[in-house]
Formats: sequence, structure tokens, C-alpha cells
Amino acid sequence: MGSQVSIIRPSYLPEIELFRPSSIDGVFECIKDGARVLAGGTDLLPWASQHGQPRKMVWIGNVEPLHGFSVDDERLQIGACVTQGELIRCADFRRAAPAVADSVQFVGSVQLRNQATLLGNVCSASPAGDTLPALLVHEAQVEITGAPGQERQVSLDDFLLAPGKTMLAPGELASGVSFCGLRANEMSAYRRHTERRALDLAVASVAARLVFEADGYTVAGARVALGAVGPTALVAIEAAKSLVGHPLTGETKSICAAIAAETCKPISDFRASADYRRQLVKVLVEDVIGEIEQRARIFKPNGEGR
Amino acid sequence: MSTGKYLRVNGTEYQIPGQWLGRRLLDYLRHELRLVSVKEGCGEGDCGACTVFVDAEPMCACLLLCGVVAGRNIITVEGLPQDFRQRFAQLCEKHGGLQCGYCTPGFTMMSAWLSGGGTETGKDPLDKLLAGNICRCSVYQQLKKVVAELT
Ligand SMILES: Cc1cc2nc3c(=O)[nH]c(=O)nc-3n(C[C@H](O)[C@H](O)[C@H](O)COP(=O)(O)OP(=O)(O)OC[C@H]3O[C@@H](n4cnc5c(N)ncnc54)[C@H](O)[C@@H]3O)c2cc1C
Ligand code: FES
Ligand code: FES
Repeated sequence: MGSQVSIIRPSYLPEIELFRPSSIDGVFECIKDGARVLAGGTDLLPWASQHGQPRKMVWIGNVEPLHGFSVDDERLQIGACVTQGELIRCADFRRAAPAVADSVQFVGSVQLRNQATLLGNVCSASPAGDTLPALLVHEAQVEITGAPGQERQVSLDDFLLAPGKTMLAPGELASGVSFCGLRANEMSAYRRHTERRALDLAVASVAARLVFEADGYTVAGARVALGAVGPTALVAIEAAKSLVGHPLTGETKSICAAIAAETCKPISDFRASADYRRQLVKVLVEDVIGEIEQRARIFKPNGEGR
Repeated sequence: MSTGKYLRVNGTEYQIPGQWLGRRLLDYLRHELRLVSVKEGCGEGDCGACTVFVDAEPMCACLLLCGVVAGRNIITVEGLPQDFRQRFAQLCEKHGGLQCGYCTPGFTMMSAWLSGGGTETGKDPLDKLLAGNICRCSVYQQLKKVVAELT
């Protein structure tokens, strides 16, 4: 009927050649053929819009075995297609891995969390990726499938190489991630600082997981990890060590915070200067430990606080 | 799971033409089905103007490919119950819940989700649940009143 004036601006996303295999073997065939893995697409599609490529994608959502996730007290196993929304809604997950649950709730928005996968956040390997410090303190292992039948497990710390770079070789798929759940007398938490409260990437972030002695006060073991203050999320070994064997006091917390701030490797960019990031790390380490203390009150023999 | 070539939108099944499988759901809804309540604000997941339900959960239609949501149930503002839409409009009028109206479809979808009991942990503050919807006219406080009265 004549020429219709389009009021709709054209999409900048190029037309994607989309493959939707229903088996892992099918996924490998497509990867070999040059297709990029598409999970939730919340990182990959904006990237493709900005760069005009990749044009070929293989969506893994049709592969049933990648949708599984299990939470038992000792270990959590999360398949590549499990979305962040699914995880947050699971009370067992929130109880077993509080730091990871905290971190997932900072990612994007309700809408994005319903689309984005946990493993997509890991494979994007952004220095500011929210789930990474939290997964590090829960000792995450990434399951890599190289070809049908060839599987290996890599610690997340080794998996993350540089901004946007992981140990995944061309043709490899991350099929899942597994990590420790809280055991008796343990607690974890994650905190970040952003300029806007939501839909913004962390300027700095901190996760920690502490094990307490039976007295509920003395720290028996500690893990601390930092985000957005280095090329990848960092494990702060020395900072964590400084807590072990001591009760949590203002002094032990600030020593731990100072060591973390010293050992991180921030850069200056449009979000913040390196100095400001170091200051933030100090504040966030104390905040996170404070939060863990709050949450852990329940362990204390006299039930103080609850 | 969606190997199919069909999209179910507001209760009607449509065959997705082959060339649409690798294109955005947002464009399919607007161009092909003329469901123009679905707005494009940013095109990259930031603003929530393109919010639709996929199997009853809100998602951004600008970051979904048609082939990825094939076979799933898509609902837009046009597919929400008439009485809900009326009530939402009345409350917007009462509280001043819109100015230019560009963000309104997205907020309508989120309000429908919230009034149907939508939640993540069961104790999330409203600000957290609505954080994915941006209003450039900034009628947030008014919209919160609308949602409070709906839920
Ligand atoms: C508006 C907006 C706000 C955001 N806010 C945040 C935020 O606050 N914090 C944050 O951390 N992130 C944020 N993100 C980034 C993004 O949402 C997350 O990184 C998300 O978890 C990515 O998951 P996905 O399933 O969408 O990944 P996809 O986009 O599908 O994939 C991401 C990358 O990983 C690869 N990949 C995915 N799965 C696999 C696999 N199984 N094996 C091998 N490679 C794989 C893909 O090829 C691609 O390169 C935001 C994004 C947007 C658009
Ligand atoms: S257009 Fe989809 S979130 Fe802005
Ligand atoms: S009313 Fe104008 S964008 Fe919200």
C-alpha cells in the first residue's frame, strides 16, 4: 500500500546466524564452525551491537543437561544455562552460599537476572564481574569441556587470566561451575561500591568467607577476594591470613583492610582513581567483615543477638 | 527449551519467518506484530522500556533473539487483562504516575508482575525490583505510590 514511513529505528544488532542444537556434541560442531557461545546474551548481544560481530552464535539453552543445578550442604553445582534469577529464588542456594547470593543480586536488574546466567558472568571475566570475588571465596571450580567426553576442572583463580580473558581455549565450553557451601560455623558476604545504586558496574568490591572456632568469636580460617581493583578478581591471601587465630575486633578488621588495600592493583579510569579504589577496598573489607559478624551471631554459644 | 519455529504472543501462536530467528524479539513484536507498546529506549538492557513477560517472568525484549524464546509464552501490555490496565491507568492519573509516557509500558509490565506476587527472595525492597526501569521524566515517587496501591 504505497511506501510506509517507518517510525522504528533500525536495530543496530546485525542479523545473527543462530544455531540451537539440543546436544553438547551439536554445540561443539557449531563452535568448530566458528559460532560463538550464546547463553543469556546480556553481555554478548550488546557487544555484537557495538562491534557488528560475532554474526554466528550457538545458543546453549536447548541442551537439557546444562540446565541442572544442585545444592547440598557440602558443594553446589550450577549448570551453564542456570540463570541468576533461578538461583536467587532458591532459598537453599541463598543459605548455602550467602556471598554468591549477595553478588548475584547486584547484577543488572530483575529483568536481566532472569536472562543472564551465572556462568556467563564468569566467562565474561570482567574485572568488575560481581559474582567473581564471591565465587573465589567459595573456592569455585570451573568445569571445562574440551570435546565430547574430555572434561577438566580448573580453579576459578586460574581460570581468570586478564580482562575478558579466560583459560577457555578456542572450541571449549564451560559446562558448569561448582563451589563450597557453608559448613558449620562459617559465614560469607559480598559488598560493592557503585556510583548509581543499580545497573552500574562496581568501582570496587569485596567478598569474604570466615570460619569461626567453636567459641563463635575466634577466626579459624578466612578467605578474602577483591573485585574491580586488578585485571581480574583477586584473592587477597595475606589479608585473609591476618585474621586467623584472632577474634574480630576493630583492630584486627582494620589490619586486614589495610593489607587488602596495599596488595590490590587498581587502575585509574573514568569510574575512579586508583587511590580512591584503595580507600574503598579498606572501607568495604571492614563492611563485609561487619556483615559476616552480624550474620554469624547465630553461632555464638549464648545466642547473643538473636 | 525452544527448538521450535513458533512464538506464542499474547495467547496467539505465530510462525517465526526464518530470517527472524536470529533477530531481536523487540523488533519482531514492533515491526511484524505492530505491538508498539514495547518500546526501545536504550537497546542494551539498561532502561526496561522493552520489558515483556517470558513465561510470566519480566525480561528485556531488546536482549532476546526470537529463536531463543521460540515456544515460550510472551506477554506484552496488549496482552494484560483489560481490568488491570484500566486500574493501572486510573492510579497513574490519581498519583501523576506518568509524564511523557515512554517508560510507562515497562512500568506497566513490572507493576503487573509485582501485583501478581512477583519477587526474588520474598523480602526485596520495591526499589530493588524496579531498578531496571528508568524514567527520564523521573516520576519514580509517583509510580511507587501506584504500585503500592496495586499490591
Ligand atoms: C544493563 C546491564 C547491566 C549489567 N550489570 C552488571 C552488573 O552489575 N554486574 C555484573 O557483573 N555484570 C553486569 N552486566 C553484565 C552481564 O549481565 C553479566 O556478565 C551476565 O552474567 C552475563 O551472562 P549471560 O548469560 O548473559 O552471558 P552471555 O552474554 O550469553 O555470554 C557472555 C560471554 O561469555 C561467553 N559464554 C557464556 N557462557 C559460556 C559457556 N558456558 N562456555 C563458554 N563461553 C560462554 C559468551 O560467548 C560471551 O562471550 C550487565 C549487563 C547489562 C546489559
Ligand atoms: S530497550 Fe531494552 S532495556 Fe532499554
Ligand atoms: S514518564 Fe517520561 S520517561 Fe517516564
